[in-house]
Amino acid sequence: MIQLFRKERMWRTHELKRSYDVVIIGAGVHGLATAYYLGKDHGITNVAVLEKRYLGSGNSGRNTAIIRANYRTPEGVPFFARSLGLYEDLSRELEWNLLFNQCGHLTLAHTDSSVDGLRVRAETNQIMGVDSRVIYPEEIQKLVPALDMSDRPRLPVMAALYHPPGGIIRHDAVVWGYARACDRMGVEIHPHTEATAIGINGSTAYDYSDAPQGIDHPDGTITSVETTAGSIATGTVVNCAAGWATAVSRMAGVSLPIVTQPLQACVSEPLKPFLDKVIVSANLHVYISQTDRGDCVMGAEVDPLQSYSQLGTLPTLEQMATYTLELFPQLHNVNVLRQWAGICDMTPDFSPIIGGVEGLEGYHLDVGWGTYGFKAGPVAGKYLAELIATGETPTLLEPFRLSRFREEALVGEKAAAAVSH
Amino acid sequence: MSSDSGLRHSRESGNPSSANGTTDGQSAVTFYFNGNPVDAQASDTVASALYRTGRRVFSRSFKYHRPRGLLCVAGRCPNCLMNVDGTPNVRACTQPVQDGMQVTHQNAKPSLETDFLAVAERFSWAMPVGFYYKTFTHPWMWHIAEPFIRRAAGLGKIDRAPDPAADHPYEHVFLYTATAVVGGGPHGMRAALDAAAQGGGVVLIDDQPELGGHLRYSSSDTEASRTSPGSNRGSNGEESENLDDLVQRIHETSSITVFTSATCFGLYEGSLLGIMHRSPESPVAQRLTQLRTERIVVATGAHEVPLLFENNDIPGVMLSSGVMRLIGLHGVRPGERAVVVGNGEPAASTAKELENAGITVAGIVPPAQVVKAMGRKHVSGLQTREQRFACDLVVMCGDWVPDAGLVAQAGGSVEWDAERAVFATGNLPDGVSAVGAVTGESLPPAVGLALSTDSNPKKVIVCPCEDVTLHDLRTAVDEGFDHIETLKRYTTTTMGPCQGKMCQQAAIDICARQTGRTLQETGRTTSRPPTSPVPLGALAGQHLHPTKRTPMHAKHDEIGCVWMDMGEWKRPLYYGTPDSKKESVEQEYWAVRQRVGVIDLSTLGKLDVRGRDATKLLDKVYTNRFSDLRVGRARYGVICDEAGIILDDGTVSRISEDHYFITTTTGNIEFVQEWLEWWLAGSGWCVHITNVTGGMGAVNVAGPKARATLAKLTKRDLGNKRFGYMRCRQADVAGVPSLMLRIGFVGETGWELHFPSEYGEHVWDAIMDAGSEFDIRPFGVETQRVLRLEKKHVIVSVDTDATSNPIEADMAWVAKLDKEDFIGKAAISRAQNRAPREKLVGFVMDEDVLPPDGAVIIADDQPAGRVTSVRHSPVNEKVIGLAWVAAELAEAGQAIAMNADGRRVTARIVEEPFYDPAQKRLRQ
Repeated sequence: MIQLFRKERMWRTHELKRSYDVVIIGAGVHGLATAYYLGKDHGITNVAVLEKRYLGSGNSGRNTAIIRANYRTPEGVPFFARSLGLYEDLSRELEWNLLFNQCGHLTLAHTDSSVDGLRVRAETNQIMGVDSRVIYPEEIQKLVPALDMSDRPRLPVMAALYHPPGGIIRHDAVVWGYARACDRMGVEIHPHTEATAIGINGSTAYDYSDAPQGIDHPDGTITSVETTAGSIATGTVVNCAAGWATAVSRMAGVSLPIVTQPLQACVSEPLKPFLDKVIVSANLHVYISQTDRGDCVMGAEVDPLQSYSQLGTLPTLEQMATYTLELFPQLHNVNVLRQWAGICDMTPDFSPIIGGVEGLEGYHLDVGWGTYGFKAGPVAGKYLAELIATGETPTLLEPFRLSRFREEALVGEKAAAAVSH
Repeated sequence: MSSDSGLRHSRESGNPSSANGTTDGQSAVTFYFNGNPVDAQASDTVASALYRTGRRVFSRSFKYHRPRGLLCVAGRCPNCLMNVDGTPNVRACTQPVQDGMQVTHQNAKPSLETDFLAVAERFSWAMPVGFYYKTFTHPWMWHIAEPFIRRAAGLGKIDRAPDPAADHPYEHVFLYTATAVVGGGPHGMRAALDAAAQGGGVVLIDDQPELGGHLRYSSSDTEASRTSPGSNRGSNGEESENLDDLVQRIHETSSITVFTSATCFGLYEGSLLGIMHRSPESPVAQRLTQLRTERIVVATGAHEVPLLFENNDIPGVMLSSGVMRLIGLHGVRPGERAVVVGNGEPAASTAKELENAGITVAGIVPPAQVVKAMGRKHVSGLQTREQRFACDLVVMCGDWVPDAGLVAQAGGSVEWDAERAVFATGNLPDGVSAVGAVTGESLPPAVGLALSTDSNPKKVIVCPCEDVTLHDLRTAVDEGFDHIETLKRYTTTTMGPCQGKMCQQAAIDICARQTGRTLQETGRTTSRPPTSPVPLGALAGQHLHPTKRTPMHAKHDEIGCVWMDMGEWKRPLYYGTPDSKKESVEQEYWAVRQRVGVIDLSTLGKLDVRGRDATKLLDKVYTNRFSDLRVGRARYGVICDEAGIILDDGTVSRISEDHYFITTTTGNIEFVQEWLEWWLAGSGWCVHITNVTGGMGAVNVAGPKARATLAKLTKRDLGNKRFGYMRCRQADVAGVPSLMLRIGFVGETGWELHFPSEYGEHVWDAIMDAGSEFDIRPFGVETQRVLRLEKKHVIVSVDTDATSNPIEADMAWVAKLDKEDFIGKAAISRAQNRAPREKLVGFVMDEDVLPPDGAVIIADDQPAGRVTSVRHSPVNEKVIGLAWVAAELAEAGQAIAMNADGRRVTARIVEEPFYDPAQKRLRQ
């Protein structure tokens, strides 16, 4: 309570030093979490977190703030479950209320093949200790009285995957909370400082333009990062630049199996509470939740085309409205206040890429976060920090290595990640 | 409170509003406020009618439940949000009255005058900015507090339970015009006339019920115009043009289409305007127009924002433009005794207009002199540094902020104009121009923040939507939220229903002063659509969710079937009643296995592929080879992506040397067509791909008596010699030209028939007739699934997913790795050369128990695979299925385990199909 009346700066500003032990590119939840756990778990605090714009200006401030662990693969489930566990304790740990509301999460199925998909997830989740189960119309209606369970919708709801520990969080607060904790440990956060080049073996002159596709970086060691505020000597760089991960990685000559597609969302005017569960429909390509302020947040599937545009489009807004009203027709006269877009780094298997790059000492990836990055900020940060500090890849991260694409050992999460936020 | 009975209307002659009859309507309408009847004039809005009856408190604020009265009277601020006929958050000040309308207040219990939740303000000292983040940091505290906070939040109410019967008439319209002009004030009207003179169609869009902009309520004489931005100040002839003349010229120009009561809420990529029409005509409630255009003229003008002083939000403290609207548009006298807060000309002319309306002006006070407004539920006075005025109306001559959101959305810049002290349009994108006040021209001199940075008064409301005070913003900046975007997110300023219209300018100003940066450096937050709130219903339009029906749909209904959805299609799941599934499926099953059955396959995707390079394209896209497929033959084909993942399957029939007929799965037809065209693009090959799905009906007639049945309907020799397995022939069937394919998805002798869909019912009837002597039965999707499962025939996207390749799916034979190249060849070759990770296998349950589709295979208490299809096999009298299992388990005879009926059950892997492994019956 004391801190309520103490006016203290959340994070300080610094002159950029000439060298750091670790430079993290991107001050969203992933970059800041990595910095936080480097300091907290491993005592590494000579760290700079670089951000092109303001803190959390990328996808950390654009996602729909849904946290869940009900994934499908034996690799994905424990990973996201660990993240959920870290989130559950994070407000206390950071002494900063993240407004995490574990209200429960329902993934709706409107076709029998979707119902089968939910069964696979439910059972896999249960075996791996994640609370989720398939429920049917009667129970769904009880949990969500506002949901239209009649046969009016073109595809009526047949079943749902109910995941009680899932919920929503105040996404900006997560960024601020981590940033403050980083600052208290001496980690430096540098907003409005853009990384422009990555030095390898003492040179930033590496010309990748003629390099063949694939893993085309020069063998060697990271030596520096060039920024708009000057040059930094460092042996360790972490790429946490969601949306621009490929562009940043190209600076190190590492091409990634990632395409970038916008993902749109919108928010309504505040309403008195009518919905206290997160509702997702993969068949209808929409997800909706109501925040503690009363706003309804609605999101769409990723745009069909690759783009770096962060502008909302009218057809997608219409689509979000259409499908929202399939589920909640009584919202027809509720106003949309804002629409926006984030850009998502999509991998072929809908799983992230975390870890080092063979042959390039000191370069670390925390990328390919598609539409599910925010959920995984704490777990990715904590275990990537362990990897950086110890040089050993933690078991949880092993399946998400870059080389899985060469080895064709994909972690197929499309069924549980696409449009399921 | 006063009524306006004695109000002398200020502008008799030449006044556009009275000429248009907006103020002289008689008491013609009765609506209900909280159940009590309210008499109103036809030209009234809900707010003006309520104000006339003496109502001054129109809402309670979001956080502290402070009483709020009318402020902007233009639909921009959050102060008059009410529920109208069940619609929450309606801006009462722009909502026209209608007879019988039911209006209720929001967010106050029990009434607007007495709101128990106003107690929140007593604790405002304990709720500084960031309150929620800084308290309840222990999860258990938050779990207790959160439900209370949640219940107190929100504004409008909606029905909790949906009403499935409700029909909401919304519609969408798609239009094109050469020029769109947004804003029907004098500048917009002139721009529309200019554009029309240059030729091409013009659409002029205004959010008010009539054209005219500020001229509708403010006289256009020089003095008064200074309070109203965008009006013409000079004295040359054109600018003194009368509003009526302008409106008349607009209406007389046939190439100009006028949309009034229509809000342009977004300017999207590709010069696409989103326009929302309120009640265009009965019975349409709202219409959304998507307007494509070449040129856009933004003439959206500017809006007035409140001044900052203590208690600047209490009822009776109004914007000068709001006061003028009440007087000029609605003939309502807002008060008896007013104090004008403002500088120079604008303040003087406002005072004059007030006096013309019969209101006593107690004083004109420069903003810097104001200390605070007095009063609780209504203003009773104004304290200045020098004196205290008693008054019942405080009129703020605030700064004018250009409505430049559309320009920013279009990619134009909105820049700080230091000379005029406004953020106005800067660089404009191609095709977009701006005229009038939105460019910053002819706005009255800005007041800015009259407060000095050292004073720190309480309850200076900057953001009326969210109750954010000056103190909150300053504190937040000091805490490090010194970027305008983080300041927004931390304090929630600009995030409320007014979308920042009332508060953004002040927030930028405060942020700049507190950080010592300029306003240009501080910048604005990103302008996002919609610029005005738009209802979800209008965005969604009509409830149009198409259902595709096969040509034989009515026949299935006649017989009586249980329908299932397959994509947009309706298909019979089986014939019978909802509770006859088991028996119906079994009867259908035995009909096919022992006699003859017929299934409607019209939903299959169908492509007609022709051209001299068609074979090359198919050889490239399919894993199979078609260059050696002889004319008159059909072959099963699989499509994979570059990673070797199975995308779709179907049959490819060679009709002639360069003409193929392809079937795809029901859900993938659009994808397969795009995929073929994608790989065709740039190849230089001559291939024409036509989707004939809707034009062709299809059935499969299968079973030992299929030949005998069809032989009655066609002259074509169906004998094995002339029409063997995997052959295709064109033939008349029941007099209808058809394509016959001899294939066997269900594992019996059978023909797939494709024919023009017009003849669907005729062909169906003919087959049923011909088959009657063999007791033919129609069968549905569920029966087909059992039949094909016994044959271990895979259904793509049921038995495969986004990681399945043909090798692991036990379909290695479809991938012709000796072909020169095909999509996915490299990946499939690699897959063949490495140890598989998992495999698709058949299994038989050890006992008579039916696990659900999707059951997880369990090994060592860990997931080790999943069941994709599992059914009771009548012929085997066992439960059989297909499952993905870890490669080390995928040996014939191996036991696997899964959960069913709440316990662990076991099954054995089998290699052979469960029925007719030698394929004898197919070929009979």
